[in-house]
Amino acid sequence: MSNSIKVDIWSDVQCPWCYIGKRKFEEGAAQFGGDVEVEYHSFELSPDTPVDFDGTPVEYLSQRKGMPVEQVEQMLERVTGIAKDVGLDYDYDHVHQTNTVISHELLHFAKSKGRQLEMKERLLKAYFVNGEHVGRIPDLVAIAVELGFDADEVTEALESHRFLADVKADVAQAVEYGIQGVPFFVIDGKYGVSGAQEAAAFANVLAQVQSEREAV
Amino acid sequence: MTDATTTPFTILGDPAAAACEGDFCEIPAHHEQAVVNRRLDEDNV
Repeated sequence: MSNSIKVDIWSDVQCPWCYIGKRKFEEGAAQFGGDVEVEYHSFELSPDTPVDFDGTPVEYLSQRKGMPVEQVEQMLERVTGIAKDVGLDYDYDHVHQTNTVISHELLHFAKSKGRQLEMKERLLKAYFVNGEHVGRIPDLVAIAVELGFDADEVTEALESHRFLADVKADVAQAVEYGIQGVPFFVIDGKYGVSGAQEAAAFANVLAQVQSEREAV
Repeated sequence: MTDATTTPFTILGDPAAAACEGDFCEIPAHHEQAVVNRRLDEDNV
């Protein structure tokens, strides 16, 4: 049995706190210093969003929440500032609001190849930093090819929706666990940590798990 | 956020940490204050 501490993370590609939380978790894991095994799970924040939403994220949130455009702009500006604090250059002017279900299928495809973490980072960067579209198959195939995956194999996997059942299984598991928001971290199968915590909080939880294991 | 009454896990960490629920992503007050402080620092106010 591996001595690594398993961390299961529920997350969505278009969740700003998930990318910020990813950076903070990575910093916390580095502070902890022990072996950690991460597995990402799919969570769809807005599964009814069309693939090609005709508008900006500001317009999307304004329409969906009935918030004034100015208020949404200020909110996104604040999130952008917080992202900058962890070294992420969010570019909401070029974000393509979309449905992320196929990007989750691509994450499961990458997991089947043992390369989920690499794909997760690339998709978050695609959405928040690069202004790339993460809802359409050709765009996702281009991202996968850039990482060295075979274009035909990825296209077949996404067009056949071979991994859709895995995405839905993750979502169902989240419901069963009572997870209502993301990012959500399950550490060693027994501790739950919700949201983009400070790095020290993650380090403390990992150290607690380690000391509990050593006490057994 | 997560319903602590239904989750099978022991919840640790700051319960007010920033998270996205549905298509809305909350910004906790302490985060907003941090950004304001940073701006003040940058502006040398």
